[in-house]
Amino acid sequence: MQRRRLLQVGTLTAALLGSAGAGLALLRPGVRDGRFTAEARLVFAAVAAAVLDGMLPRDTAPRAAALRAHLDRMDTTFAGLPPALQAEVGELATLLATAPTRLALTGLGAAWHEAPVADVQTMLQRLRLSSLALRQQVYHALRDLTNAAWFADPGAWPGIGYPGPLKVGTP
Amino acid sequence: MIDPIEQGLARGWKVRGGPHGELPETLTCDVAIVGTGAGAGITAELLTAAGLDVVLVEEGPLRSSRDFRQSEAEAYPALYQESASRKTADKAIGILQGRCVGGSTTVNWTSSFRTPSATLAFWRERFALPEMSDDALAPWFQQVEQRLNIDPWLVAPNANNQLLRLGAARLGIPAAAIQRNVKGCWNLGSCGMGCPTNAKQSMLVTTLPVALDRGARLLVQARVEQLVIEGSAVRGLTVLPVQLNGAPASTRSTRISARHVVVAGGAINTPALLLRSKAPDPHGLLGRRTFLHPVVVSAATFDERIEGWSGAPQTLYTDHFLEVAPIDGAIGYKLEAPPLYPLIVASTLPGFGAQQSALLADFAKTHALLALLRDGFHAQSPGGSVKLRSDGSPLLDYPLNAFVLDGARRAFLSMAEIQFAAGAKQVLPVHEMAAPYRSWAEARAAIGQLPIQPLLTRVLSAHVMGGCAMAGSEDLGVVRPDGRHWQLDNLSIHDGSLFPTSIGANPQLSVYGLAAKLATLLARQLSGRDVRLAA
Repeated sequence: MQRRRLLQVGTLTAALLGSAGAGLALLRPGVRDGRFTAEARLVFAAVAAAVLDGMLPRDTAPRAAALRAHLDRMDTTFAGLPPALQAEVGELATLLATAPTRLALTGLGAAWHEAPVADVQTMLQRLRLSSLALRQQVYHALRDLTNAAWFADPGAWPGIGYPGPLKVGTP
Repeated sequence: MIDPIEQGLARGWKVRGGPHGELPETLTCDVAIVGTGAGAGITAELLTAAGLDVVLVEEGPLRSSRDFRQSEAEAYPALYQESASRKTADKAIGILQGRCVGGSTTVNWTSSFRTPSATLAFWRERFALPEMSDDALAPWFQQVEQRLNIDPWLVAPNANNQLLRLGAARLGIPAAAIQRNVKGCWNLGSCGMGCPTNAKQSMLVTTLPVALDRGARLLVQARVEQLVIEGSAVRGLTVLPVQLNGAPASTRSTRISARHVVVAGGAINTPALLLRSKAPDPHGLLGRRTFLHPVVVSAATFDERIEGWSGAPQTLYTDHFLEVAPIDGAIGYKLEAPPLYPLIVASTLPGFGAQQSALLADFAKTHALLALLRDGFHAQSPGGSVKLRSDGSPLLDYPLNAFVLDGARRAFLSMAEIQFAAGAKQVLPVHEMAAPYRSWAEARAAIGQLPIQPLLTRVLSAHVMGGCAMAGSEDLGVVRPDGRHWQLDNLSIHDGSLFPTSIGANPQLSVYGLAAKLATLLARQLSGRDVRLAA
């Protein structure tokens, strides 16, 4: 049964809170008013640094600006999702923004903004090859949300040699 | 660039919903059509030709060439189901399906095949459908091929497709040209984001404008919540206005009363609507046997630039691997060469960090093949089941079992061998544990050892079929051979959910041809008039 346990709103939170020995009051909401919260932005910034390692600018100021724009695009991506998917992604953001459930779900000990990129990458690789479908689903959700927001931006295209669409003028 | 939708709206097309004005409280018509895709568009043109008063209801927005800027970031949320993030219940298969006026025909890659003979033979034999023969269907295919300009594509294939032909030829495997529904195509390659030049003969620019010019009414950004069923009849529809992401825009619903209802919302959505409406289902078949042509992908790197984003997608194919075993034997697959856009490629290729950077650094030199697995012809390929989430939205549960995944492994092998034969420097089967392999021998050994399991193997689908199967007897299907529901007299289904199995080829022409046959008959029954599609 566990192999095909599904990422379903509510059941996942209950299970993880149970295994983390924590209660609902601890949860830090991942989404508020249709946008990712400051806590969730820390999660997705750390995930972006790991997934987009080698693509993000290296210098501090341009890197911070690129991450800010990336996180804003993630809000746009989120807003385009239907309510059922928003609920799933919102729950995932909440679980990852809350320390005990982050630890239970991912095994990542350090807070997101303090975790070295290599540690986040190790964690992602563990989820990716986990024997639990649930953890594999979390890996794909994090990676796909990150890539969708990053490669939506024409600014990311020169880095992969894509010139952008051909001009369509008047025939 | 002339925008035929802008012109039609200026001529006074009756469009409501979203930016086109509030939905009315009630509507009465002869026929209400749910959806505006392949089946709905053909049906709308034929029913309006018979003088019938038609209302079409579409959940997505009305977008047109002026909006189609070849941008994935704009196209996916606007034009695709669930913002192009639709997935099966266990998240192991990503599903690309249109959700806009024109449905998937607005965003598909133009590949046009008649329903294969072997598929029709299987339907005749297993689903009591003697009328599904090549000869009986040929006139219907001819009619829609003429209507939609479905013809051989005479322009040279792009490099991504040419490599399929080259590699296959070196192995003695024939590859053939794919017919396309285009007129004056600019060979841009951006079909998947909506055709910016109106060359693609989608429903958006062909049948729907004709129906609207004849006075059909179109509701957009409007979701049919329920069929109103009384006894063995459908009295009408309940419709809710929705936002672009599908969330309700208001609680004020519209009631449509109709003599006859045609549901053509596409597989997954059509059975879901019937499930929400508690349509009779005495044999437990509704939503079952939903097929996907599960797709696996093999990415190869070449020394030269391929630029897979440029030029018409999917212009060559090979059916060699559909023909090596009987149709009801080990699962076979069709090979094609898809378009490569940055967002979809970055989301499909595996890995993150250094692995992802290295793969995408070679994006311009990447060639990709895909294998469409022909599901639904074997007892161990029962497809998936459509269920409803607590908010009433559909969710397809499609377990990828060992039978189907065995086909995925063989497909990875076939694609790698063809790619190396074409001169690939390295080949990467899209799988979380695969690495780029440098030779056919290395790839063959490695693919043989890969655990081909869900969520490790990247599986996609762009063809959703079945769930309301047509059959010649009540215990085998949801719908009669004339497209009418077995238990509900004035309800017809005219979309890909009719197919009792997958098609074994890109399905748009199968939907068009079948819808033309069913809608012509329906037009005669409702109006007494004989009609055909515009020439």
